[in-house]
Amino acid sequence: MSGAQRCAIVGGGLAGLISYATLRHGGFASSEIAVFGTDADPAAEWRQRAAAIRQQRMRSESSGHCAPTSFPGLAVRAAARTRNPLPLVQTVFDRFHPTVDEFLEHAAEVRERSGWDESFRPRRIRQVRAVDEGFELDGEGRFAHVLLAPGHPGLAFPDGVGRDARVVHAYQAHDYADRVEIVGAGMAAATEWLNALAAGAEVVSVRRREPERRPLNLPRELFTRRGLAAFHRTSRDERVGFLRRWSAPSYPHGRGWDEPVENARRAGRFRVAAELNGGEQIICATGFRRGFGHDALLAQLVADNELETAEGWIVLTPDSTVPGLTDETRTLSLAGVPGQWAFPAADTLMGAKYAARRFLRRVQTCRSR
Amino acid sequence: MSFTLRGRLETRLATSLAPLVVGSALALGLREWWPVELAAIMVGAGLALDLTVYHRFLPYQPGWIAFPLGLLELGVVMGIVFAVGVRAPLGAAVLLFVGAWLLGQALVHAAFPLAQLSYGEDGGELGSAGPAAVTAVVALLAGAGGIAWATQPPTVHLAAGIHQGPLVIDHSEKLVGEPGAVVRGGIIVTSDDVTIRNVAVTGGEIGIKIDGAENVTVEHVRISGTSLDGIQARRASVKIRDCLIYSPVGEYSQGIDISFGFDLAPSLVDGCTILGGREGIVTHFAQVMISSNNVSGTTLRALGLTEMSMVMVEGNQVENSLGVGIYCGDFSECEIKDNVVGGTRPDVASGDLTRLGYALVAHSGAKAEVSGNVLSRNENASKAFLGGRITPG
Repeated sequence: MSGAQRCAIVGGGLAGLISYATLRHGGFASSEIAVFGTDADPAAEWRQRAAAIRQQRMRSESSGHCAPTSFPGLAVRAAARTRNPLPLVQTVFDRFHPTVDEFLEHAAEVRERSGWDESFRPRRIRQVRAVDEGFELDGEGRFAHVLLAPGHPGLAFPDGVGRDARVVHAYQAHDYADRVEIVGAGMAAATEWLNALAAGAEVVSVRRREPERRPLNLPRELFTRRGLAAFHRTSRDERVGFLRRWSAPSYPHGRGWDEPVENARRAGRFRVAAELNGGEQIICATGFRRGFGHDALLAQLVADNELETAEGWIVLTPDSTVPGLTDETRTLSLAGVPGQWAFPAADTLMGAKYAARRFLRRVQTCRSR
Repeated sequence: MSFTLRGRLETRLATSLAPLVVGSALALGLREWWPVELAAIMVGAGLALDLTVYHRFLPYQPGWIAFPLGLLELGVVMGIVFAVGVRAPLGAAVLLFVGAWLLGQALVHAAFPLAQLSYGEDGGELGSAGPAAVTAVVALLAGAGGIAWATQPPTVHLAAGIHQGPLVIDHSEKLVGEPGAVVRGGIIVTSDDVTIRNVAVTGGEIGIKIDGAENVTVEHVRISGTSLDGIQARRASVKIRDCLIYSPVGEYSQGIDISFGFDLAPSLVDGCTILGGREGIVTHFAQVMISSNNVSGTTLRALGLTEMSMVMVEGNQVENSLGVGIYCGDFSECEIKDNVVGGTRPDVASGDLTRLGYALVAHSGAKAEVSGNVLSRNENASKAFLGGRITPG
């Protein structure tokens, strides 16, 4: 091939960082990779959201990190740093959850060590155009292998909630009024219940279903081939059903979650309601908009190339590449939430690694390499 | 971690490589087979558990469960080791297992994820390294098995008919008699790792003499007409099973005498029938298991366990002895359980008060722990003399 550069990562968030670190670990020089994003700090957006909900600890465990290899995980790093074996004992029992500060420190370290800044180009890519043996990126040149990690396509607000001054999304900076209605039943909502109660507020949890309780976003088997093999064998409709079911809100078990809520319930400061009812403040812990149609770049990509879709998902091969736009000479891969068709927990750190490692494998074996 | 079945098996085999290599090296160094046998049992037991238990019941395997599973596997492996008679020293066997387990943990949690980025996501599958590991393990086991087979002691078949002895066996071999094979004048064993099976021996001072040899097995032999001992083991470790010793001709003849091998592996006498003679089974300064034998018609005592022997006597039938049935003497320690001793007659002519037809005697500081024995038709039941002790077990 002629004129095409090697690899591009479109998206400068954590999934982009993981993909970049993985490529570098796989032997690619920083000059062979271009990363396009709007903020040089890959953790910037995530940091804002975590700060907004005052998140202290990660839901993910030791292996939820940005380094290319699973080992050493964050528990090993913490034990080595503090010279305390407790994190190792905790991780043996799946009880190690790093603090947000530890995680951000680690992300910064990966950023520095991987040479991220050498490859980063501050530019929002609005269009990916398939061309001969590669992809044209919005005037930035032609790349043989492109990984798209655009992140979540904006915050989701519940239907019927007006955008007045009382309404704020959980992932937007906010304080707490005396009487707060919190919409949602996932990890962010549970965190907000505790935050608001700790701030002295009276809380109404507005939800239409009871939240599921599980340690991670999805059952653990679905993070490995054991569960994924069955997932990948599903028909189109079955898979849509699975993804819908698994996207139901959940948060972990534990007294740390339950006791404050139970105490507040007994004191009359916490209750559950099915509908909003005129609270002083409405906090929408309702996550993100869902579906490729909310992302302009992906929507255009689908339209231009008539890609197969299933409701809000782009149909992908199990290695998270886009069929029809991936062959022996070029690779187009989706990481992060748009990669759910290949890996249902694609919007987690493990999901980003899944896509990144398979992208690396394809690029390494690709004839054009 | 959630292993796929293939991932479990590949991981198991890959982590087994090092223990197999170590086992092979140890076997070469020690000139013993137990390290390879132990490593092979570890691999086999692990694979069997992977296939039948772990894959089915552990869709997700948290880190902590490795410890109880390791204990389970240790128990299974040691159970098989004892069941099939692998001659592995307990401490060394446990050490090898624990070393292999620790190495396996390090490989699974650190080395494999470092070597293969998607090791965890792939459910423990090793990609192209998986079949290579399988091939290497199979090649190692096949190589060790081939060497074991090639170095097996040769089998010498003794044709039917009378063979003039004494036959001297001074190298490792299996001597197997055809039906009707008889050796006249005895067999002498001076080499380790000898098996004698299906042979009749007649005449001579000693029927089968084992001198300074270990891992000797004597099975299905018939010995008659010897003037001293039917089977005599000196500084030897021997397993004697299903023998018949009868018609002794000497005044001092004994059925089986195992002596002076206290520091060697314990010996065994099991399922033998001994008729007549001065003593049936005798031990001096030896560790012996004596079980399920029939001893009758002896003129001094049926079982004589003496000179600081350590003996387990279990499930034997002792009948019609003169003087004493079972004798534990000279600071020996004897555990005597579930035997039937009957018809012991007093030896009045000897003038010895310890020989007045006692079924059990503990003598001269010996300690006999007894339980479950049936003593009937004896002149006297049991008694301790000269600091001997008989205690219930």
